[in-house]
Amino acid sequence: MKKSKILLPILISIFLILVMVLSGCPTPPAEEVTEEVTEKEAEPAEEETAAITEPVTIHFWHNYDAGAGQIDVLDQLISQFEQANPGITINQVYLEWQGLKNNVVAGATTGMLPDVLRGDIGFVPQFQALDVLVEMDTAFSDYADAADAVLEAPNSTAKAGDHYYGIASNTNTKILYYNKDLVTTVPTTLDEMWATAEEVSSEDVIGFCEAWMGGWNLCQYIWSYGGDILAPDYSTATGYINGSVAVTVIQKLADLYAVGAFSGPTIDPGAPPDTDGMGTGKYAMTIDGPWKAKDLSAKYNDLQYGAVQMPAGPAGSIGVLGGEDFMMFKTSDAIHQDAAWKFIKFMTGKDAQVEMAKVGQMPVNKEALADDEVLEAMPLLSIFADALQTCKARPVTPKWGDMEGIINTKATEAVLGQKPVQTAMDEAAAEIDALLQQ
Amino acid sequence: MTTSGVFFRTSKYFRKKDNIRMLLLLVPGLVVIVMFTFYPIIKMFIMSFFDWKIGYNQVSPFVGIKNYLAVFSDPIAGIALTNTIFYAAVTVPGQMILGLLAALLINGIRKFGVTFRLLYYLPVVTSWVIVSLLFRYIFSNNGLLNYLLTDVFKWIPEYIGWLSTRWLAMTSTTLLGIWKGIGWNMVIFLAALQAVPVEYYEAASIDGAGSIQKFFYITLPNIKGTILFCTVMLTIGAFNTYTPIAVITGGNPAHQTEIVLTWMYYQTFSSLKMGYSAALSFLVAGIVAIIAVILFKVLRHERI
Repeated sequence: MKKSKILLPILISIFLILVMVLSGCPTPPAEEVTEEVTEKEAEPAEEETAAITEPVTIHFWHNYDAGAGQIDVLDQLISQFEQANPGITINQVYLEWQGLKNNVVAGATTGMLPDVLRGDIGFVPQFQALDVLVEMDTAFSDYADAADAVLEAPNSTAKAGDHYYGIASNTNTKILYYNKDLVTTVPTTLDEMWATAEEVSSEDVIGFCEAWMGGWNLCQYIWSYGGDILAPDYSTATGYINGSVAVTVIQKLADLYAVGAFSGPTIDPGAPPDTDGMGTGKYAMTIDGPWKAKDLSAKYNDLQYGAVQMPAGPAGSIGVLGGEDFMMFKTSDAIHQDAAWKFIKFMTGKDAQVEMAKVGQMPVNKEALADDEVLEAMPLLSIFADALQTCKARPVTPKWGDMEGIINTKATEAVLGQKPVQTAMDEAAAEIDALLQQ
Repeated sequence: MTTSGVFFRTSKYFRKKDNIRMLLLLVPGLVVIVMFTFYPIIKMFIMSFFDWKIGYNQVSPFVGIKNYLAVFSDPIAGIALTNTIFYAAVTVPGQMILGLLAALLINGIRKFGVTFRLLYYLPVVTSWVIVSLLFRYIFSNNGLLNYLLTDVFKWIPEYIGWLSTRWLAMTSTTLLGIWKGIGWNMVIFLAALQAVPVEYYEAASIDGAGSIQKFFYITLPNIKGTILFCTVMLTIGAFNTYTPIAVITGGNPAHQTEIVLTWMYYQTFSSLKMGYSAALSFLVAGIVAIIAVILFKVLRHERI
């Protein structure tokens, strides 16, 4: 009786500890599960089993847009890939932009990273600085062949230092979208665009919208007016972000904001988001990427909007190169890396790129870009193609994310009139210089 | 010493083996607390003295109190802390006063008490994200509030940017905090009010005391412990607020509506400054601890 009094708590304790410890354990790697299932399922069909030398599951993180139908297309593509490559299973996981970055940051510590990631081109230098990315041009002998099939400029975003840590997935830049009911004379220069913004603004209409005030949004104006954010060798921001060109551009935006001709959801958290504002006629113009056409068409069928190449400044129409790259992680073993590379080559191949173009992803594959189906699916492709000829990539540095944050904060303070523009941008230059010196 | 205390101290059942049995039953809980509370706290305290790197094969250099100095010299950390204190200073008394008022009203009615309790408690069980989105819609430039004020009642000629500037946005957010917390306070205060002996009120009535006198001289002193409990819990809760700011303003414009948790999150995941965030979290924990100690001193519960 006495023994049982002690024994029972011991058993309960052991049971509870086991439950907690085991529930805390990660689930067995998916490939192990797949192996078991595949073996069991494959028993009756011996011919097929022979083809499956080493069943493997590839974990693929991405931020394809479900709303635009991209994940449905991705599922179809994965199915095609799996049929063509027996033994390889793709486990796709959607994460929104920030979630994708956060999970890699967390995974860099725990080692729980995917085999493949498709994410913003700006992630490459940041993740490479964490020393988690596979040096793809040395890891795969046929990398050069795969890279040859895609446009050179977008693929240059996967380069950090002397090596490529990814390969381009899709590309984009930004063009001018305008409400045809509000803007009757389409501006061709930035000066005309600012003037139009003022003209069309009223109590119910804001002439021009920018979703954010970071480099993604300001570089295009500063570059087009002949200025820059950083020195070409990334040694300093002084004389660039606080130079006369950048200050003039931001002063212009501040002046427009003061007269109610410019706004955006981060400058004014009470203002409508850019797509909703355009769709409801609150904003007359905005500069954005190819997804904007899909978003506007999907949500606001009645909106009569037009799109043209971004108006030019004295130095031309120089947009910001955007897009996504495929990356691979060092945490994967050789078998997974080989399978992942196969999948990446499939996704950058013509067929997959054509299918993705139909749901708004601008291809990087050269053959896909000339495909009739793509041209039909993307009516604005020719405008973007022209814009891509003159656009530029943002500085490729692991600190770029921090720099953008500084630019956004200081430029917003300036636009809101809380600080003189020159003072705000001097502060930005000093903070960016401190980052560059680290 | 209570009767039950004497029983357990002298009982034949209270022996060494029973101690072992109790210890064994405590082990699972202790394992959880050590693994998921104490270990992370200690680890984070260590991190706060390093320029913590998260990548492979990266060395995290020891930087002493540099992270703490960085927090003190960071103007946005100052803004975030001020905003958090403002949020706490408005929402804690706001929730408690309105929650107590609701409890007094419900305590005084004989019919529909359960219905009112349910209605007041509904906001507590609704999702923070959903109600934050709802409040963002209400307070946005083209939202419901401006529509009512300008178009329906025509009280103001043009809309007010409720979320456009720091203090207006913070005030709008505190209204959400108050609205969502009334129900929780109501339940806690209702329980406290029902524990106040009826005889006290009867004696006061005989002495000729009015409702206000009864409230200040009987009700309040008898629920002092509950007031202290609510104040401490709500203050801690206010310093742990994240969702309403993240959803309603996102810390915009220019980080002016950041609160400590949103700023900590930004520094951790956007700037990857783990050491800075660890230092900030320890400083905030220190501030909350000091506030809690002061509240305990000021509102020390005295048993009547």
